[in-house]
Amino acid sequence: MKNESTIIDVPAETSSAMKGKAPLIGMAKDHTTSASGGYKRGLSIFDFLLRLAAIIAASVAAGTMFTSDETLPFFTQFLQFEAGYDDLPTYQFFVIAMSMVSGYLVLSLPISVVTIVRPLATAPRLLLLVLDTAALAFNMAAASSAAAISYLAHNGNQNTNWLPICQQFGDFCLKSSGAVVSSFVAVVFFTILVVLSGVALKRH
Amino acid sequence: MAKESTTIDVGEPSTVTKSASHVEVDEKKKKGFVAAAAGGGYKRGLAIFDFLLRLAAIGITIGASSVMFTAEETLPFFTQFLQFQAGYDDFPTFQFFVISIAIVASYLVLSLPFSIVTIVRPLAVAPRLILLISDTVILTLTTAAAGAAAAIVYLAHNGNSNTNWLPICQQFGDFCQATSTAVVAASISVVFFVLLIVISAIALKRH
Repeated sequence: MKNESTIIDVPAETSSAMKGKAPLIGMAKDHTTSASGGYKRGLSIFDFLLRLAAIIAASVAAGTMFTSDETLPFFTQFLQFEAGYDDLPTYQFFVIAMSMVSGYLVLSLPISVVTIVRPLATAPRLLLLVLDTAALAFNMAAASSAAAISYLAHNGNQNTNWLPICQQFGDFCLKSSGAVVSSFVAVVFFTILVVLSGVALKRH
Repeated sequence: MAKESTTIDVGEPSTVTKSASHVEVDEKKKKGFVAAAAGGGYKRGLAIFDFLLRLAAIGITIGASSVMFTAEETLPFFTQFLQFQAGYDDFPTFQFFVISIAIVASYLVLSLPFSIVTIVRPLAVAPRLILLISDTVILTLTTAAAGAAAAIVYLAHNGNSNTNWLPICQQFGDFCQATSTAVVAASISVVFFVLLIVISAIALKRH
């Protein structure tokens, strides 16, 4: 193998000029990576805060429905003098579902922290998006079915002779309706969380 | 400015260098093409699956809405307490169901062009992001309609002894059958929407 030689002309520069140029190149590199990591980190922090708010909304919903008992001080001929969430299977489903959703949100907090610490990793965000979508659907199902029953309790239905029980059980109706509203707030939070994860997953 | 010269030893003779560099350039080009096609390839597959899911969801939602709309029954006799006629418009929840599932079906038809754009341009981010956001909103609407109608259907089948709400399915069997079918169809479309959102998310993922 013959060795070839070539001569390259290197323009000489003063050492101070060379020193002055070198750091700029290093700084430019850092800027580009942290820019995309920066806004994604911001999205992750917003995601974490939303999750905390959704935990509060979901647990308030479950707790309010769970403690919405009311006992009337008198007897009526047709209706029971006691009303609680366990008298209506839909409300039982609501309490169980909202508790599960709150538990899921608490368990997803570490994954959210991981997306803050590693803003460019896609696996935790994708996992959060899929789980959040399932939790959103579950939350909405519980909220809407309880809302249908609340509507019936407030207004009744003339065609089927279903009487509005809110006439007698005012406190029970108030608390259960409040719980339904709180779970709809949690649904809004979940929608924003899913959209956030989708935007943060986006490639550049 | 004084010019300095330096001598660098190049290891191989010129003929060997030429052919080696050609091979390298060709391989680099090949790698580049393969990478683009592979990334585009599986995303295109996901986009096609997305399109087919949308078509199936259109069919199911139109079916659910129309079955609920035509769920009427007139009994041939009188009873003292209950009406002898039942239709979807006797229940505000069922009215909400028909209207919102119809809205969902028309949204799905309008989203088909976006889905086709993602098939044609598998690496574009904007159409997929639009589809993801609007699919999430429509998912909540579909789930709301399906859940509320399911609560009423459950009541119609079982009643509630604590509130003295009688189960009307005893008298209106056909009506109950039709409404239950519509609710099941809407629930299946909810599953389709969850799949659509997950597909958009996976396709959005960067490498």
